[in-house]
Amino acid sequence: MVITGCGGVSAYGLGTEGLEAALQEGRPRLSEIDRSAGYHHADPSARLALRASTQSLTPWLQPGEARRMSPPSKLAVTAARQALAMAGLADPEGRVAAEAEGDSPGPGQATAVVLANSFGPSSFTEHLMRQILLENPEAASPFYFTECVANAPAAQIAIAARARGANITVVQREAGPLLAVAKGAAEVASGRARRALVGAAEEMTPLLHSFLDRFGALSRGPRGSRGADGEGESARPFDRRRDGFLAAEGAVVWVLEREDDALERGARPIARVAGWASAFDPTAPPTDWGHGGPALARGLVRGLIRFGLAPAAIDRIVSGASGAVAGDRLEASVLSSAWEGETLPPILAPKGVTGEYGGGFLASALLAACGAPFGPTAGFAEADPELGLIPHDGRPLATPRRVLATGLAAGGAATWLVLESMPESMANP
Amino acid sequence: MTERAEGPWRVAVSGVGAVSGLGWGSDALWSGLSAGRAAIGNFIRFDHAHHRTHVAAEVPEPDGALAKTLLGRRLSLADKFALAAAGEALAQADLPSLGGLSVGLYFGSSTGGMWEGEAFFADLLAGEPRLRASLLASQQPNGPGDAVARKFGIEGPVETVSSACASGALALGAALEAIRSGEVEIAIAGGADSLCQITYAGFNSLRSVDEQPCRPFRAGREGLSIGEGGAVLILESEERALARGVRPLAYLAGAGASCDAHHMTAPEPQGSGAAAAISAALLDAGLGPEAIVFVNAHGTGTPLNDAAEWRAFERALGDRARAIPVTSTKGLVGHLLGSSGAIEAVATVLCLAHGEVHPSSAGGEVDPDLGIDLVLDSPRRLGAFAPRGPSMAALSTSLAFGGANAALVFERADPR
Repeated sequence: MVITGCGGVSAYGLGTEGLEAALQEGRPRLSEIDRSAGYHHADPSARLALRASTQSLTPWLQPGEARRMSPPSKLAVTAARQALAMAGLADPEGRVAAEAEGDSPGPGQATAVVLANSFGPSSFTEHLMRQILLENPEAASPFYFTECVANAPAAQIAIAARARGANITVVQREAGPLLAVAKGAAEVASGRARRALVGAAEEMTPLLHSFLDRFGALSRGPRGSRGADGEGESARPFDRRRDGFLAAEGAVVWVLEREDDALERGARPIARVAGWASAFDPTAPPTDWGHGGPALARGLVRGLIRFGLAPAAIDRIVSGASGAVAGDRLEASVLSSAWEGETLPPILAPKGVTGEYGGGFLASALLAACGAPFGPTAGFAEADPELGLIPHDGRPLATPRRVLATGLAAGGAATWLVLESMPESMANP
Repeated sequence: MTERAEGPWRVAVSGVGAVSGLGWGSDALWSGLSAGRAAIGNFIRFDHAHHRTHVAAEVPEPDGALAKTLLGRRLSLADKFALAAAGEALAQADLPSLGGLSVGLYFGSSTGGMWEGEAFFADLLAGEPRLRASLLASQQPNGPGDAVARKFGIEGPVETVSSACASGALALGAALEAIRSGEVEIAIAGGADSLCQITYAGFNSLRSVDEQPCRPFRAGREGLSIGEGGAVLILESEERALARGVRPLAYLAGAGASCDAHHMTAPEPQGSGAAAAISAALLDAGLGPEAIVFVNAHGTGTPLNDAAEWRAFERALGDRARAIPVTSTKGLVGHLLGSSGAIEAVATVLCLAHGEVHPSSAGGEVDPDLGIDLVLDSPRRLGAFAPRGPSMAALSTSLAFGGANAALVFERADPR
């Protein structure tokens, strides 16, 4: 199973070049969230986020198409078209498309879409709720309603790219993006689909930002360090002073297909999907991480064994540590349990740059598998003795053979993904 | 006729649980379905005076003893439906404890704790000084599935699908795959959704809600009726169920999925996408159309859906389509949205286990443009079960917003 295309939209622009540069530099591109609606607490509250909705999506999405889409649908379709173009999948008229026009493809020939999101099209849901609660239920807009369902972005990808295989939206918070890749890979591996478009899309609205902040999920800056303009707000993965994550929006989509299929049509694989695992931590409360590290580690190892893998076969970790106090503690516990106290491979923790949600983490994992250089871990300055784990300090690293990407979700879900570098990998997808 | 599949990896349904407008428990569901009793009528969840329509299938209050088992400040109503259904299904499968077992959970939900989220948002807009953040604790669609995993101590894979009305059926397909591949020994699969204002007003904004209780496949149909509830099925290999002394209620023999890639709300009118999902499910089950003894249709009651779905049956089942009895569970319990595929799977299993197909709702003349053999007024008996005879299978379809389609094929088991 190989990845032959990758598209993305993030605070760093279209594609992944901007993100790659930011990861090397170790600096997030933050912007102020609009707090004028009054949803946020009075100070102290978080003010910053990584916004993607200011990006121009042309030439991938024309205004005439975009007018029928919610913000996350626009981001998702843009990312999918970039991924298909990179994979060399275009119809005879040059339009990027997953399948040829005409009747439904035969068994196993269609393209599946598996997309993750955590909160759905939040702005349209909010608009609809305002109409219902403040105006009249009869004022509800049918357009907002049809585009406020969680699966709208996946459906819009299918319509835009003519993808007629299974269309699945998974919602498992921070584990969702990796779970979407795993499920898409399973669709292709089983022969149910010829290809899969997989990834994640999310928008970050002021309302959602305020909800996350009310639960104490977002960084507000270490006590006493915060300035009036959000100074001090930072994701600090594995750092002793960590106090929450940075909220992000964006979309990332990959094209998955069987390696022989890809090679036969002359496509250039970027990386392999070598395996995946999922587990759950029932000690987790609904809105935070639990303390079941050893049990999760057993789930990880059991999953790797199904693919003939073991922790010792991993030579790079791209950690989903986000700066969440309990989340990073659990991540450290899982990794140390899975490696049974042995030395861990180098750990990249890109969420100091990508923030949480929007698929930036997925793009980072792929960049890591391609040997892209990562700078010092953004936000990390002071080791947490409780964790016993130091993330990457920026020194040059060789291209890894196998990368383990980790996704532990608030609420208990967990998914891990193993990516394998290609012998002559593209360094910059 | 297709011969019955044999082998250690036949996937058994060893327990079911359900919560619906017909009551709490699968006995309440079956009692209502077999009597053709519709749970759709006036409702009190919220003030609907300013909505266009005034009927829904609301879950009644649980009795005192059951209510006590469902206490929890951070549980949404959908969480409670899921927990009750899962508890019943596990008990029926004789799985009082899951310790030491490899268990996965596969759930579908469209709105999760949206009802509670609406209450929070209303307070926020009203400038309420003391907002109850606990209302948001389980607001995402993964809330009900996660709540079940937490309650029953599941440490295996847990995933929630939120593909609108196909969510529950897609989750069952994932569970089937997990059992077949050996990833888990036991799969808890289902879904839960609760009635809320956003879906009620939203479907009304599309003018796709019938002012009367819905009338799937009838000539005068004018739309769906919203319902709520939860449903859970326990899946495991037949070998494993029999070794534990549990006789399967039925088998989940195949699953298929597709997408219309046509329109966000309108089905592809010729039913080609839905037909692809049905064909894939039959292929996965290793069965042909001749094995299908009845269909539990998606059957929402909207003019476009029912017509396109019938065309899908014709495309996928050929001449056999006109000879197969069809029922619609939605005609009696309403449309459970992300949980509809799960409750219709439970209804399908109960029909197979009881040897009869439950009737659809009342509602006038069957649409003469459809050549459908709709099960009317009273249950239709299935033929006698022959242990070594040809397979007797049922098809359950789920067709969603965004063109996501899912189909499941269940096979009849030796009666318990």
